[in-house]
Amino acid sequence: MKNIALEFKNVSFSYDKKEVLKNISFCINEGKFFVLLGLNGAGKSTIFSLATRLLKVQKGVIFVNNYSIKDYSNALKDIGIVFQEPTLDLDLTVQQNLYYYGALKGINFKDTMNSIQDEIIKLELQDVLDKTVRNLNGGHRRRVEILRALINKPKFLLLDEATVGLDLKSRFDILNYVKELVNTNNISVLWITHLFDEVDENDDISIIKDGKIIESGIVKEIINKHNKANLIDTFNALTKVEK
Amino acid sequence: MNKYIHCMKGIIYKELIRFVKQKSRFFSALVRPLLWLFIFSVGFKTALGLAIIPPYETYITYETYIVPGLVGMVLLFNGMQSSLTMIFDREMGSMKILLTSYINRNYLLFCKMFATSIVSTLQAITFLLIAKIYGVEISYLGMLLTIPVIIVSSIILNAFALFISSVIKQLENFATVMNFVIFPMFFLSSALYPLWKIKDSSVLLFNISSFNPFTYIVESIRFSLYLKYDQELFFILGISLIITLIMAFVGFRSKKINHS
Repeated sequence: MKNIALEFKNVSFSYDKKEVLKNISFCINEGKFFVLLGLNGAGKSTIFSLATRLLKVQKGVIFVNNYSIKDYSNALKDIGIVFQEPTLDLDLTVQQNLYYYGALKGINFKDTMNSIQDEIIKLELQDVLDKTVRNLNGGHRRRVEILRALINKPKFLLLDEATVGLDLKSRFDILNYVKELVNTNNISVLWITHLFDEVDENDDISIIKDGKIIESGIVKEIINKHNKANLIDTFNALTKVEK
Repeated sequence: MNKYIHCMKGIIYKELIRFVKQKSRFFSALVRPLLWLFIFSVGFKTALGLAIIPPYETYITYETYIVPGLVGMVLLFNGMQSSLTMIFDREMGSMKILLTSYINRNYLLFCKMFATSIVSTLQAITFLLIAKIYGVEISYLGMLLTIPVIIVSSIILNAFALFISSVIKQLENFATVMNFVIFPMFFLSSALYPLWKIKDSSVLLFNISSFNPFTYIVESIRFSLYLKYDQELFFILGISLIITLIMAFVGFRSKKINHS
């Protein structure tokens, strides 16, 4: 039996009377890098919020790390989350922020720091640990948020538009680092984005539009299937079909 | 079990660091009750004669009378401010960190309220020390014994404030809550004058004040500060704690998160 990092089965969701997710189903296997691509308002953040229990499931079922999201104490235990909006406490130092997050995962300061020792060096954050977050630039702050998500070595990492607002180099540094985590640490990743240049032709992808998944598979296979030159053309063709 | 202890320690640690770093918040929280003590009470003491009422055994000055009420004021305003921050955080993002933990959400909210109550206690004790220096008769033993009462009272007010904040649809309405919840709660209590004085003027207001939980918070602080024990008072405090915590948990759960 395959281990599943995330599975949505026939999930629908409405804000008041507006249905924003319509019978969504997809699955991310363990150790895979999975991209959810869609324009703003497509329903990506709602999927993210449902998978992290910020929103309550209305219809359908969700499994995280093989546990139903209703069993949140098991489902959310081994996940790391990077939110779209900044969530670090600006008045605290990087180390204090890390300790706080570690405590929310039920671990002490020593174990928190031990669990991310290698990643601190890989992310080149050793010199900013004692700095107040307010004094860090955007790139550093994002790297700290990724470092924080790796506390206690999660099996599954969810990143919601993690590179928004960063320059090109910082964006691809972060993307490459996350892909390296998949290869070296066998972490599963859900990478939510609206940026086409962050998607590689070998990535496993689902394209979402107006709350529906309109295509899924390996990017190059999708491009070939629709007989297009690249992902942008394919996306445009798919979204026109939907219209 | 360890995970729950680490979790609580982490949340308290964060609140204390924020408290140390935001000194202006500390001083502004102290200014309000000190103004009441230094200015309002001086003007009022000549107009208001006080009889001997429990827990006091002799005639007391008006300054002495209002000190427990002003401690309640510190807790009330701190609770409201903290809960507003929690709701604001929930909409802005940083509260999401707390809400995506695999640890029980009600326990996390309780930890947050407990952490706030520790900060409130530090402010309340500082206020009591200043009041003592000013000349109000308070014993150090009384202050020490009041600490648990202050912590429980603070959690009650935090929980109540969290419930109120949860049912506010927009944060701008919080100013309305100040006028329609905080001020009536404070004025319709025994914080500034004994209930029998209110009864003399209006039986209706007396009845309302008698059902106001803030009255019992103020009286519990007053009794413990003067080393007296009233079982009924502390029983009501315990019941208020349970009810307000349930209200806070249910209210927070029903509050919807806005998404862009």
